[in-house]
Amino acid sequence: MKNRSFGSIVYTAFKWVIIWGLALFEIFPIIQLILNSFRPDTEIKKFPIGLPRTWTLENYPDTWNIGNYGRAFLNSIWVCFWTIVITLVLIGLASYALAKIDFKGRGFFVAYFLMGMAIPSFSHLIPTYYLFNRMGIANTHLCLIIIYTAGQIPFNLLLLRTFLLGIPRELEEAAKVDGCNELGTFLRVTLPLAKSIFLTVALLIFMKSWNEFAVANTYVTTDSLRTVSTRFVKFTTEYNNNFGRIFTSGVISIAPVVIMYLLMQNRFIDGLTSGGLKG
Amino acid sequence: MQKGLTAQPRKRIRWAVYMFVIPAFLFHFIFITAPSLSSIYFSFFDWNGIGVPAYIGAGNYREMFADSEFIKALTNNLKWIGIFITIPVFLGLLTAYWISKLKKTQMMIRTIYFMPYIIASATAGRIWCSYFNPYFGFNSAFKAIGWTGLGSTLWLGNKNIVLYTVAFVDVWHFWGFIMVMFLGALQQVDPTLYESAMVEGANRRQLFTKITIPCIMPTFVFIVISIIMWSFLTFDYIWVMTGGGPGNASDVLSTLIYRNAYSRYRTGYASAISVIQSILAITTYAIMQVVKKRGVDV
Repeated sequence: MKNRSFGSIVYTAFKWVIIWGLALFEIFPIIQLILNSFRPDTEIKKFPIGLPRTWTLENYPDTWNIGNYGRAFLNSIWVCFWTIVITLVLIGLASYALAKIDFKGRGFFVAYFLMGMAIPSFSHLIPTYYLFNRMGIANTHLCLIIIYTAGQIPFNLLLLRTFLLGIPRELEEAAKVDGCNELGTFLRVTLPLAKSIFLTVALLIFMKSWNEFAVANTYVTTDSLRTVSTRFVKFTTEYNNNFGRIFTSGVISIAPVVIMYLLMQNRFIDGLTSGGLKG
Repeated sequence: MQKGLTAQPRKRIRWAVYMFVIPAFLFHFIFITAPSLSSIYFSFFDWNGIGVPAYIGAGNYREMFADSEFIKALTNNLKWIGIFITIPVFLGLLTAYWISKLKKTQMMIRTIYFMPYIIASATAGRIWCSYFNPYFGFNSAFKAIGWTGLGSTLWLGNKNIVLYTVAFVDVWHFWGFIMVMFLGALQQVDPTLYESAMVEGANRRQLFTKITIPCIMPTFVFIVISIIMWSFLTFDYIWVMTGGGPGNASDVLSTLIYRNAYSRYRTGYASAISVIQSILAITTYAIMQVVKKRGVDV
């Protein structure tokens, strides 16, 4: 009996060491990133980890101005905004039809989007590049908005559809009996009920568009048009010797998404993980 | 009479339905599916992206399978799969199992574990590069505590370990996601199963192997297959941290495609590699859909 309780003490201790050790492993680089943004470059170079010995705010205005982050933020917000709006309209209508209406070809469309999720971005990165060139919209925000929207459609559409399937159809049927057409039913009955999931989807699209790097780096090469993620990589390549600025620009780049995550973590976590499996 | 009345609006509705679906379908088809299919066409040409494409049949594919860079990249993708179907899955399952039993701290730990997953990989990759800087990074901390071996390691400069360094960072970013997936699955397990098993005298290990494991088996299988698929496509961390280097030590299919397309201007060859990558990823995905449909037998 005594032996067993000793074993379970060891087990419990082991368990907690692993749990908090991993938590430290996950959070430490982020905390140190924030701390380093308040340290002068020379101090970071002397020793990369630890609390600031001399707190400084200098890194922030320097990085923000030299890195032209004001411009980059506006660019990213502009791209994210239109991506979210266009995607929500497209997938809102489509997921309603695919969840609530029986029609010929429904199975085909569901299968199409299910398959669409599997198309790797590298398979269309090159041809789309030339397509945009020919359309005369290469190196603009429009091509980012288009490609992000197109890429976001399958996953989020199916996520939305799964949710809408869970709302009993009787509500929509009742509205139709009262004389609503499909669009009216969608706008007046389904949309208000699904407001929350729409917000979740909007957040996911925001996060993905804000964080996206490969496409933005390829399609937009004019400096003043760069979004935050590519601006960050460019800036840290140019100033790769100033660690204060590298860490500060890291904080600036991830702040919007991290703040939203901390405020609405359940939406992020549920949206990202449930869609992943139900596909 | 009655029939005629209901049939009339129905017909109008049928047309309207397509107006709901077609915009999303066309948007996706024009900008994703059609270009992807055209990659197959371009893969049979020798093309620099500007001039006139020259048809060379299977030339690109023949070149690819004799190209040591391609073999290296594919091998690295396979190593990547090996790393990611073991470490994140093991860590994720273990911690999810423990954390699922916590009450007060569960949310907090989940928030922390998941946090790196929402951070831009380009940003996180660069920050980790600074931490791995041989002069100003963690190495000086290792040296300060007397670990000179670790302290003089070139984490991103040594071609034997660079792939594992980047994989380490990507695991940091990724495994919390797997943890939350398993946590979700564990919380779906019917608690009465445990209760009745305990009444019958099952011990902790039996509960785990006889109830927990079978109940989360579907999730487990989907996670492993998804990881295999994502591993064929991995790009951001490697590109930002090493660009595939030093030499081609950390190249994967994606970085090879990128370099051929945009710095070597070998568009046809890059397309051929992307076709192979797509086949690998889509086949894996198709297997997952089949498994999902048939259910996982345990």
